[in-house]
Amino acid sequence: MTLSAPRILRGLAVLLAVMAVVAYVGYLVVYVSYAVELFRWPYDYDQGEGFELHDAVLYSRGEWPYRDNGTFPFYASNYPPLFHLLMVPLLPIFGPRLIAGRLLSFIATLITAGAIGVIVRRTIRGDGRDWMRAWFIPLISGLAFLASNYVYQIGPLCRMHMTLVMFETLSIAFIGEFEDPRHGRRNLILGLVMLFFAGYTKQTAVFTVAAALSYVFLRDVRKALVAGAGLAVSAGAVFWLINVATDGQWWINIIQANVNEFDYRQTLFLFRQWFDLHALFVVLGVGYLVYELFWDRISAYSLWFFFALGVGALSGKWGAGFGYFNTAVAAACLTSGLALGKVREHLEGRALSAPGLGVVARDVGPLVAVLIPMLYLAQAPRMLHLPTSGPIFSTAAQVLGVDDQLAYGQGESLASTHCAAVAYHDAMGYTQLGHPLSEEDYAAGEQIMAHVGAVDGPIFSEEAMFSILGEKPVVTNPTQLLNLYNNGLLDTTEMIEQINEQVFDLVIFRAQFYPAPVLEAIGQHYEPMDQVCMNGFTYHLLSPRDRGDG
Amino acid sequence: MVTKRQLGIFVLIVSLVGIAGLISVDLLGAGEWGGFGPLQRLGIGLGLGGAAVGLILIRLGDRPA
Repeated sequence: MTLSAPRILRGLAVLLAVMAVVAYVGYLVVYVSYAVELFRWPYDYDQGEGFELHDAVLYSRGEWPYRDNGTFPFYASNYPPLFHLLMVPLLPIFGPRLIAGRLLSFIATLITAGAIGVIVRRTIRGDGRDWMRAWFIPLISGLAFLASNYVYQIGPLCRMHMTLVMFETLSIAFIGEFEDPRHGRRNLILGLVMLFFAGYTKQTAVFTVAAALSYVFLRDVRKALVAGAGLAVSAGAVFWLINVATDGQWWINIIQANVNEFDYRQTLFLFRQWFDLHALFVVLGVGYLVYELFWDRISAYSLWFFFALGVGALSGKWGAGFGYFNTAVAAACLTSGLALGKVREHLEGRALSAPGLGVVARDVGPLVAVLIPMLYLAQAPRMLHLPTSGPIFSTAAQVLGVDDQLAYGQGESLASTHCAAVAYHDAMGYTQLGHPLSEEDYAAGEQIMAHVGAVDGPIFSEEAMFSILGEKPVVTNPTQLLNLYNNGLLDTTEMIEQINEQVFDLVIFRAQFYPAPVLEAIGQHYEPMDQVCMNGFTYHLLSPRDRGDG
Repeated sequence: MVTKRQLGIFVLIVSLVGIAGLISVDLLGAGEWGGFGPLQRLGIGLGLGGAAVGLILIRLGDRPA
């Protein structure tokens, strides 16, 4: 029996599909490995994690984290409350520890990936007889989200970003089906609830709100106006109530403090990086948007992709970064899956003919079946990221030829802002997240905690976990103080008085993101005591200058 | 239900208003004209692209958006 070309191509398609699944499941293994690393790590890995945990601790005590930053402990949150409230039930299980938020965020990424897969499958599967549309493309679409360098690095952090993306994805999943004849009303209400949750997780959800309401508007103007009004009234009422309950500190801390300096070059750099890393998904997402704009009806998913670019445009704000692109990553993974499903559906059974050649192929379906997994396989190495230590990952890194291309460099090429290399490669090049922790890092953390335990009074720490683990009050949220100071909204009088009086027995710096007068006061009244290299960063520990007991 | 034409008109108006705004930023600062900066050039480029999209959509007529 001779093998026909279509049979060969179908066999090749299956082989390539298996290879693609292996590649993207490989990224999932790397991601879970990193998550487990972070679950074990007790200290801040990313600056800001401890403050988000502290917000949850405050809520568990019935206290608002939106406060006057000018009075001790000079602390306030600059984020809406939902992520922190979701952590509260986990505190009795884990205690005030970062694993509570890290686990929550990690689960949020899994839910998001699952939602992407479900949306793609329900949209493209047709009668379910085509394995590529029924499970392969939906599976890779969901795994691609978790394979993204951006999602990988931020996913298991005690930060609210990925919970936001989860609510955004779920809202689009429901809103996209608001015209369903049986469940349309339910889907619209659930979609609006998810939008409400997204907005009270992070302010940038406003772009997804615009996408969702725009979609409803295009299909049903009256429903859009009613839905928009309902969302505005409910969200606005809660906004007003919180502002009243916090004596206006809510408005100051989550709106006014977030108006920061903008550098368009940072935005352009991040757009270029986002495209380089996710090229296939972005190109397909753009193609799908163009197709629907001119040849079909615009879906909620394409609108979401378009508006998600707006979040990316804000990434030039001081304090922002590639995390602002996670919504766009989710939207691109989703719409790229829809695009490939559409291509597969339209070309299955179609003949291919060329001028002068006649019919080249009676059915391009098998060719498309080979092309789709090839595209996924071509995309996979663009997002390469993995640890370079350990028996499995070191071997993989050597095979892939990246074992000596480390995120911080090494030896003479070590980045000047770091004190130690990290065993991690990322296609992004330099990145502060994603690398595993070492035994030296754990020892360094204990060294810092020994200093914390040796003092009786409060400490002035740039990272919250040293205070939380030392059972001391969390003093300052430095980037929030800097934001408020730059906007003329911070009275540093009391803070500087306390620094001058050496109320704090220990100061711990890393990036020194404090207002200049605060740094000057510390420089005058505190002196270097120790320097500790932990997690590739130098921590500066300062003690009070001679207090003059005589 | 919004049609392609209606959407096109909206996109065209927003794009033209955006372009006008970017140009008027310099014109209103009389005597300070220093040419278009890179951000303005980018914005005008996007605005022109949006206007082109709007015009195409207008030609697509009453098809549902």
